[in-house]
Amino acid sequence: MNFETDGKIMKHSARFVFRIAALLATGLYAGRATRADINGLEGSDFRLTASAGTIVMPDGLSVHVWGFGPTDGNMQYPGPTLITTQGQLTQITLLNELPEPTSMVFPGMVNVVADGGVGTQQGLLALEALPGGTVSYSFTPRQPGTYLYYSGTRPDVQVEMGLLGALIVRPMDFDPLAPRAYQDNETAYDQEYLFLLSEMDPRIHEVVLRLGSAGLDGLDYLTDHQPQYWFINGRVGPDTFLPNNVPWLKHQPYGAMARTHPGERMLMRVVGGGRDVHPFHHHGNHARVIAKNGRLGTSASYEVFTIQTAPGETIDAIWTWTGQRLGWDAYGHAPGDPLEPGEYAPDHGKPIPVNLTELQDLAFGGFYSGDPFLGSLKSLPPGEGGLNQNGGFHFMWHSHTEKELVNNDIAPGGMMTMCIVEPHGVPID
Amino acid sequence: MSRTNKSVLSVALVACFLGLAIGSRADDVVVRLSGGDGYMKLADGRILYIFSFADFSNLPPEEVMSAGLLAASAPAPTIIADEGDRVFLHLTNVGMVMRPDLFDPHSVHWHGFPNAAPIFDGLPDTSISINMGGTLSYFYNVVEPGTYMYHCHVEATEHMQMGMLGNLYVRPAQNKSPDGTLLGGFVHHTGFKYAYNDGDGSTFYDVEFPIQIGSFDAAFHDASESTQPLPFALMRDDYPLLNGRGYPDTAVPGALPALAENGGKVSQGVSSLIEATQGEKILLRISNLNVTRFYTLASLGIPMKVVGQDARLLRAPSGLNLYRTTNSVTLGGGESKDAILDTSGVQPGRYFLYTTNLNYLSNGTEDFGGMMTEIIIHAQ
Repeated sequence: MNFETDGKIMKHSARFVFRIAALLATGLYAGRATRADINGLEGSDFRLTASAGTIVMPDGLSVHVWGFGPTDGNMQYPGPTLITTQGQLTQITLLNELPEPTSMVFPGMVNVVADGGVGTQQGLLALEALPGGTVSYSFTPRQPGTYLYYSGTRPDVQVEMGLLGALIVRPMDFDPLAPRAYQDNETAYDQEYLFLLSEMDPRIHEVVLRLGSAGLDGLDYLTDHQPQYWFINGRVGPDTFLPNNVPWLKHQPYGAMARTHPGERMLMRVVGGGRDVHPFHHHGNHARVIAKNGRLGTSASYEVFTIQTAPGETIDAIWTWTGQRLGWDAYGHAPGDPLEPGEYAPDHGKPIPVNLTELQDLAFGGFYSGDPFLGSLKSLPPGEGGLNQNGGFHFMWHSHTEKELVNNDIAPGGMMTMCIVEPHGVPID
Repeated sequence: MSRTNKSVLSVALVACFLGLAIGSRADDVVVRLSGGDGYMKLADGRILYIFSFADFSNLPPEEVMSAGLLAASAPAPTIIADEGDRVFLHLTNVGMVMRPDLFDPHSVHWHGFPNAAPIFDGLPDTSISINMGGTLSYFYNVVEPGTYMYHCHVEATEHMQMGMLGNLYVRPAQNKSPDGTLLGGFVHHTGFKYAYNDGDGSTFYDVEFPIQIGSFDAAFHDASESTQPLPFALMRDDYPLLNGRGYPDTAVPGALPALAENGGKVSQGVSSLIEATQGEKILLRISNLNVTRFYTLASLGIPMKVVGQDARLLRAPSGLNLYRTTNSVTLGGGESKDAILDTSGVQPGRYFLYTTNLNYLSNGTEDFGGMMTEIIIHAQ
């Protein structure tokens, strides 16, 4: 029996990649200093191109993808996050550079008007752009919130191929200095992150690359869907940890690492972009669900530790971490030290009431700072830790369908990212 | 009910003389777990290799290493705490007897613990986990009641599919209100129990049962036991379980018989048989820790009032109750729901709680069983 073929070897190499990726992430983050906003295209007149490209997965496999992208930029997976405003006439012009007709639909938008002449045809769900053709859609969002857009042309194939993205509608009284998700003070936030969940079955992409959609006729890949990759914002772990727009992920510009400070309100925009339900478990604390499918629900809001994300649904939730009532001082203060902003005073100066195990009996995570306290860094044995530059508290946010935490059988990976609670004063962009 | 207590790890209120805790109090709760491997028996008779925890809260720490060998239990021991408790959990990694090539650390992730700190969150990537032969101490200041769950988070897909999963819940401080306390229009009496600090008695119950949804892929376990590559993406669970058993074993009271494969230790101690006397209110503390899919559980004949979700009372900040009465609840991995079944006016007899994902009413190739258990209503 060859023990070397056990999955462990692969796991260790994946862990290495995981660490390199995260190191780059934290390095590139350092030194910028504004609030985190969702990366995307802002405005009301969007020009997109649908085209094909290849994404390279951390396990080494290349996947042929169809995606939307800015007309003057790259095809990307997911498509650009389109950020518009409630009450604003919004137009999206789509140029089709794919070998097959394509289109866009906007669930949650009312009275979508499609326009196009030569090079378009009326499809079942939407007016479609033929290869080389251009179609435009316009609508006026009535309600703010988080929405999804995707192909309305054979969506069983084309959404799988990558033709989807998020649509964010800001409230009409949006104030970037005091942002709110809706016209409701309970939706005010300090940090804002998108978590667009999706999955891919690479068999389908292989067939479409060689034979086009028609190649799927006679195969059961669409009905017997077997995903091997699970994505957040179009990346799988550990690529999710990388910043936006790293040059080597040309077609996957969006990171998924969330950062915040103690006591801040983080708006989580969680979107079910694939075909499976995903239980999105956010370590660290409960989140309060304030809206679903772009409809405010603050009067009936509730708290969860796992967000049930169904296909085509969106959830907005507010997440805050304070560390209060841990029964010990999360900052490791001595009793006479000053309080941190928002610190839970009754625990101030209290020690951790257990002796931590000796180092030789422990295994260390790359994101462990070497010390249990927020903002503190201590040395670890050679080769351990090293990815936590600020002593931030790292919490994994991931699908709790844990089989989705692999990349084509190599663990860890898949639908996972981190949320970092950074010490006060660490800049977040 | 005594049945619950039998199956539950005795959360002994041991004074902390063990030297692992500093600043301890006489009423601190000490839980001592081993993490390792072992065996369980599926309802069709198949023996399955598992990883899990076992309870040694009543043993001195130096005996856990030897007692914990091949002692893994399915599910892991149930942990029960009261709001206000300080829980000291000591995890000893005893290693994998059947897999001497593995050197995996283990951890305990108290899933859903509010305002957690990474050091006690059990996530290996962001903190520490324990190597073979070592013991790691976790501290939890328990301030929020509700139905949680716990599992090992090291190589989570593998260790959770292999079985390192258990029930964990916290009873509310409202249970300890003085006799005669008025909760809105509801009069509390000593011995009354509630799912949450509801302030109005609306989550009162007589008997409670933890029901943990799970499911195993036998091929994955067999591959692990025989040191073969593990089928992650192709994982397809074929043994749907409640508390580590398929029907009819779910309805067997108490523990299943000890197995020879693990040296005669009892490994399946948690029954899912739900019993009450007509008129009583049953609290089901339902959690899901399978790693492959969502499951729906339906109650046939007795409606369920869902009063809690993810260890929170279902109530908006405005005070609006979000309770809902239903015949079924749907949970993905890492979700929990608290459902109260009111048996007033329900005819005595045998009822069923089962998955409406009907293809999961099976034990491997054996139809009909799987994710189902019995609710017995006794006459008054």
